[in-house]
Amino acid sequence: MKILLVEDNERVAGFLVKGLREGGHTVDHADNGRDGLFLASSETYDTIIMDRILPGGIEGLAIVEALRKTGNKTPILILSALGEVDDRIRGLRAGGDDYLAKPFAFGELVARLDALVRRARDVGPETDLVVGDLRMDPLSHTVTRAGKPIQLQPREFRLLEFLMRHAGQVVTRTMLLENVWDYHFDPQTNVIDSHVSKLRRKIDSGFNAPLLHTVRGAGYKLATNA
Amino acid sequence: MRELTRSTAVRLAFGYAVLFIISTLLLTGFLWWRTALYLDREIDAVIIADAQAISDRLRDFGLPGAIETINERVGRASDEHAIYLLVDPTLTPIAGNLQAWPLEVGSAPGWHDINLERDGRLHVTRALFGLLPGGYRLLVGRDVQDRVEVRALIVDSLIWASVGASILAVLGGILLRRAILSRLETINRTASAIVQGDLTRRVPTQGSSDEFDQLAHTINAMLGQIERLVEGVRNASNVVAHDLRTPLAELRTRLEALLRTQPSKQVTYDEIQKAISDIDRIVNVFNALLRLAEIDSGVRRAGFRDVDLSVVATELTELYEPLAEDKGIIMNIDVPRAIRVHGDPNLLAQAIGNLVENAIKYTPAGGTVSLRIAVDHADQAEIVISDNGPGIADADKSRVIERFYRGNRGSDAEGIGLGLSVVEAIARLHGGTLSLNDNCPGLVAILTLPRVINANRPHD
Repeated sequence: MKILLVEDNERVAGFLVKGLREGGHTVDHADNGRDGLFLASSETYDTIIMDRILPGGIEGLAIVEALRKTGNKTPILILSALGEVDDRIRGLRAGGDDYLAKPFAFGELVARLDALVRRARDVGPETDLVVGDLRMDPLSHTVTRAGKPIQLQPREFRLLEFLMRHAGQVVTRTMLLENVWDYHFDPQTNVIDSHVSKLRRKIDSGFNAPLLHTVRGAGYKLATNA
Repeated sequence: MRELTRSTAVRLAFGYAVLFIISTLLLTGFLWWRTALYLDREIDAVIIADAQAISDRLRDFGLPGAIETINERVGRASDEHAIYLLVDPTLTPIAGNLQAWPLEVGSAPGWHDINLERDGRLHVTRALFGLLPGGYRLLVGRDVQDRVEVRALIVDSLIWASVGASILAVLGGILLRRAILSRLETINRTASAIVQGDLTRRVPTQGSSDEFDQLAHTINAMLGQIERLVEGVRNASNVVAHDLRTPLAELRTRLEALLRTQPSKQVTYDEIQKAISDIDRIVNVFNALLRLAEIDSGVRRAGFRDVDLSVVATELTELYEPLAEDKGIIMNIDVPRAIRVHGDPNLLAQAIGNLVENAIKYTPAGGTVSLRIAVDHADQAEIVISDNGPGIADADKSRVIERFYRGNRGSDAEGIGLGLSVVEAIARLHGGTLSLNDNCPGLVAILTLPRVINANRPHD
């Protein structure tokens, strides 16, 4: 992936650039708003990571708004120390696609970037989703594994659908809570784990190869191989 | 002295006195004008009429006519104060009740205020001197001694009344000033004590619900809010220090050991993983603090809308049911439709979620957690979450809501002690309350929120 990082904090930027390059991505870095806007509008990126408070006279959200006004649809992840819900809403309203508060786990950032890019490329719910021998038809709400139908509750269906749309990627618990349940607060208990293990019992038990994997310290991954 | 002129109370009292004196003077002036001056004008008019009558007779019937009229009027006993004198050009009296032409009048016609001797003493007399044809002179007057005396009496009374009023005004001003100052002084003393650091002080009220009492109530309400905030900040900073020191100490020890022992790669990774968990715990504390600050600031009110509590509760139940199931806890739900409140759906979900989560966390396997929504006797929405876990000791019930207090509810259950504070803050933001009661055994948490009664349709 070709990623633009607009971030003025040297240490955070250095750490992100290094991590993303090690993950096989191409990264351009701008350390102020002016350069950021210039790069974002002159080059083509798969995704942009945008800090909110920037030097150079142009603030992060202003860049996002400027890009959206010119019809630029590059998925943008907004990064900020201002982690409250109100800021999140403002960020998304300005045209950002996702919002991550500092401090964040690198894994969370990568998972969200993957999800953003996937979402941008996705054509929608028309086609069947397939992972190994697991198959979902989003239109008729049916799920089968190795041809055997699996009965799912509506929420379990949405959970599985989200996991299947992000098959092969790590999906964090926060992402699940936000996207499947639409809650923007952190429960103190591992309430998501209960849902995932319930789902796992339905799609994995009785089959040889498990599809739903727990990624330690990060979240979950739906894939044919761990 | 300058201090005195700066004092609002003194200026108020002074202004009051001046106003009082001015109004007294106006009143007395008016009385004077209506009484004494009126009497004077009245007498002048009578004198002129008399003189006119006599000169008319002189003109029509000659001297004898005038003399006859004068004698007739003198003889009439009705007006003993009347004075008449007609003299010839040699000042020899022809008619009237005066023995001789008064020296004080001299030879200038017109009005004269003269002193005439009567009954052995001098009487002030108002007199009109007119020259008649042929060199005759006519003097017509009235003895006004009585009236002068009455007038003097009136003036005296008015002066004394004014003096008395002025003294009263000054006294009143002083009393007014003292009353204001004493009330202000109590407020002042309270404020000074608070500045010294005694935040528990309150302005005493007199129970009269006058303006000062109302001010005192407002100030006391403000002080209560300030005290609560300061107490919150004080507790928060104490507990933040304590709560953060533990994970930070663990983190430090962990990293130090790692540096010192330089273990195998796998062990190092595990240790780093644990170090990250330590940091996450610290970040969680800060997130909760930020969330509390945000709720307390009230900015979230901007996003308020009609929320159907049954929808919120049903969705939350669905979120937490598998967790309860895993722990072997039964969840009972009793949620009627269409109980609506005005609020932030995400915050309400968090508040109810926190309470449900706590209940599940503290209830042992085989226990029951129930979520019930009802309308209470005061027509408010009531969200009741009860468990049959260990409950909270009565002494701790109010304290657990305080920021960061960690109740003694089982040692294995972790928590950062902010959960109930957040719920309480959310309740307060929505104009509601959180109360904790005994479930015998267990805990009943009741979230009471103002209900929207005549809403058309909820937005979600």
